Amino acid sequence: MRTSFFFSAALAVSVVACGGGAPPPSDRLATAEAGARSARELGADKQPKAQLHLKLADEQIAEAKKLMADGENKRADLVLQRAGADAELSVTMAKQNNARAEADKAQERLSNLKAGK
Amino acid sequence: MRGTIAFGLLSSILVTAVGCSPPLPPAELVAARTAYASAEKGPASQQAPAELHVAKQALEQAERAFSEDSNSAETKDYAYVATRKAELADASALTLIAQKEKEQADKDASRLTGEQLKSAQRDLASTKNELASEKTAREAAEKKAALALADLKKLAEVKQDTRGMVITLSGGVLFASDQSTLLPQAVIKLNEVADALIKGNPDSNITVEGHTDSQGQRQYNMELSKKRADAVRDQLVARGVASDRIKSVGYGPDRPLIDNKTAENRANNRRVEIVVEPASPKPH
Repeated sequence: MRTSFFFSAALAVSVVACGGGAPPPSDRLATAEAGARSARELGADKQPKAQLHLKLADEQIAEAKKLMADGENKRADLVLQRAGADAELSVTMAKQNNARAEADKAQERLSNLKAGK
Repeated sequence: MRGTIAFGLLSSILVTAVGCSPPLPPAELVAARTAYASAEKGPASQQAPAELHVAKQALEQAERAFSEDSNSAETKDYAYVATRKAELADASALTLIAQKEKEQADKDASRLTGEQLKSAQRDLASTKNELASEKTAREAAEKKAALALADLKKLAEVKQDTRGMVITLSGGVLFASDQSTLLPQAVIKLNEVADALIKGNPDSNITVEGHTDSQGQRQYNMELSKKRADAVRDQLVARGVASDRIKSVGYGPDRPLIDNKTAENRANNRRVEIVVEPASPKPH
């Protein structure tokens, strides 16, 4: 009985060590934050679709920081993977939006030239 | 009893079957599969194959997590990431398409601008040529008019007044006394005047005015001056001056150049004046 209690205690300790013992995902956090910054610089916060993913990235970064503070590094790492994916998507959507606007402008300029304006 | 055994067997088979049926994937994984399938069918396969490959790997990771533990949080996280990667592949492809469109439009615009510039340069050169030819033609016309005027000045007295250019021919040179038939040398002279008028003032309206001195009856002088003006007009027309731009009028003694007191003055008043109006500008 005593032996089984010790076994249980040792198991519990090792489980806690596995979750909390993971190193803090600092690189992942830095990458996600850099992604969100880039998205903002590209004007993602002014474009509806890109803005949504930027918001999700921000929220998840904040959530991950809380988890890291609580020592939940493994969970934080996964949340940061989500945040990174959202930030990266936000950047690409902002670029797409900008490229589309540039293309439309160039085509309008061409139409005006053709019309002799 | 047999029936009970059979029922027990059937129940256990059913329980086994239900126990073996594959677990339902979470909504996140379903969304990831749909997003990848959509990206694969879209422009990403051509325009963004690298990004599409990353999306595929992300989906495979989610599928692995699902097969290892269908209820794990990781499955949902990886599926969430896979969905974003598929959307990213799609957005990358659309970005590239827009960039190519811009490049093409810029290229076309540049070519068109070049063509328009060349066309404008051609137009400018052509306008310059036209201006130069116009200038040459104008100079030639002016030169011709100046020569014609010089010719006229040799033949008669030429002056400018409010009516235009006035060519005064002495009555004594043109007609015998009391006559309205041109003298032979007058015909020669008028022909030269006509030539100069055609050359120098081809578009002007011309009035031939007959004048007499004050001697004799006014009515007679009026008629004589008109006849003389007619004779001069007819000769000019015969030489080639357009008949629709020349008219004749007799003023008799009404418009003397000078008083009629002396014989010399009276001789000066007996005259024919050819009045050339300034040409009205040609309509463009």
